[in-house]
Amino acid sequence: MKKSHTGKIKYNKEIAKDTFKLVISSDVKEIEAGQFVSVYCENKTLRRPFSVADFENGEITVLYKLKGEGTNYIKNLKENENIDFLAPLGNKFTKEGFKSALLIGAGIGIAPMLFLKKELNKFGIKNHLISGFKDTKEVVEGSNQVVIGGSVLDEIENVVEKIKPDIIYSCGPSIVLKLVSEFGVKHNIKTQIAMEKVMACGIGVCRGCIIELKNGENASVCKDGPVFFGNEIKW
Amino acid sequence: MVDLSVNLNGFKLKNPIITASGTYGYADEYDDFINVSELGAIVTKAISIEPKKGNSGERLFETYGGMINRIGLENVGIKEFISKKLPTLKDKNINFIMNLAGSSVEDYIKAAEVAQNAGIKAVEVNVSCPNVKQGCLEFGTNPNSLGHLTSEIRKIYKGFLIIKLTPNVADIESLAKSAESNGADCISAINTLKGLGVKIEITPDKNIKKTFVQGGLSGKCIKPVALSMVKRIKSSVQIPIIGIGGISTVDDVLEFLTVGADAIQIGTENFRHPDVTIKIKNELNNIIESLNLKSLDDLKRKLRNE
Repeated sequence: MKKSHTGKIKYNKEIAKDTFKLVISSDVKEIEAGQFVSVYCENKTLRRPFSVADFENGEITVLYKLKGEGTNYIKNLKENENIDFLAPLGNKFTKEGFKSALLIGAGIGIAPMLFLKKELNKFGIKNHLISGFKDTKEVVEGSNQVVIGGSVLDEIENVVEKIKPDIIYSCGPSIVLKLVSEFGVKHNIKTQIAMEKVMACGIGVCRGCIIELKNGENASVCKDGPVFFGNEIKW
Repeated sequence: MVDLSVNLNGFKLKNPIITASGTYGYADEYDDFINVSELGAIVTKAISIEPKKGNSGERLFETYGGMINRIGLENVGIKEFISKKLPTLKDKNINFIMNLAGSSVEDYIKAAEVAQNAGIKAVEVNVSCPNVKQGCLEFGTNPNSLGHLTSEIRKIYKGFLIIKLTPNVADIESLAKSAESNGADCISAINTLKGLGVKIEITPDKNIKKTFVQGGLSGKCIKPVALSMVKRIKSSVQIPIIGIGGISTVDDVLEFLTVGADAIQIGTENFRHPDVTIKIKNELNNIIESLNLKSLDDLKRKLRNE
């Protein structure tokens, strides 16, 4: 499968404070929740990886937070301009076999959760998405429950009690993912988390984005991940 | 039809475009982007006699015009390479050079034996590794230790032997000469430059967060160093030279050919443009055609006013 693509920018605007939505129309045939794209930035050595927030008929949606030179370059790309990206990269969330799912998106980590929620709905899997933001200006729509200022983790126990999930999915800062994984282990609920790491190749060859697993092996976030079962990771 | 082929002292390439070690995996990993068998050759990730886990902690640091890596030679080890990767290279007819790393002369000798027995046609020796038996000084920084290592490998390995020089030395000429006089068939240069990435962040609670990544600097920013090194090596040895360092366009290739490279390797740019190799190959072909020349050798002569 050819993985390098030139797409056209259909939409690239700020939808919340420092948070942008980018829609690319492309010839990509298939992307599932958890997978990501990596966008070429002319002024940078490394491409920038972004989780996919939606995909339909070749149209790829990503959400990104302004961070530095890479995202500032992407921000300035105009509608109808070409955009060079690699896709689909990485693995997918596991959906098969689950009946009820809790989704937790912290900050921009909401992006893959939105895509996953849509897929779960299609699969008829009951789900509940909690997202957390620093303040109201940063809120991205689409969750069942929004936490402002506090920690998304404070809400877990209540929701778990209510919806009795057999899987918890999460994406966000590493500390949130660690705590979600620990919660899962403690309450005997499976967790799947999407990790983030600085990457170079995006396809598993350069070994730059390695994390260590509990079984002692190295895993690349870009190819073996970005989705891992929380209890597999050596935190 | 332009003839892009290169004959490096008996090791034949269909074109001068090679991919650099550590940027291209072991075999056909880039088949999702290009037909890898169209390349002159690929150089495998550095392979050691035993598998290596590599470094823990942050391994990458982006810099202006480049990047620093400290992967720590993570690799599957020579046995798995021979059993799992070699068949793919053969099946797909990918011309390749096996990159070897070690931490003692004995490690390299053992690896060279395996390469010899497996009929590997070409080996590139990474001499930027620390010699644990000699105070962890890199093999490639001292002409005597480099000469000794080269001659020990040469005794065992009969295929095409490339020594990949490190630029982190004062006198690259004496190192190139030492490799040549001890039996190397070819020099490749340069490996990464020693670099330190430092990032200072002020946290919301007014603390300072510091990140340090010390490793090898690669990418566009090292090209002038690489060109200088290749030119100096060319003035001191007769064996062919493979130029490496910051190549991202066909113009870069012309520059390296001009100062003495016979073939080139592309590394970091593969991360930006996974199909850059084939693009440059095609552009090189067009340049030769536009100059009404017939071959890469004609182009080299013209560039060097020979």
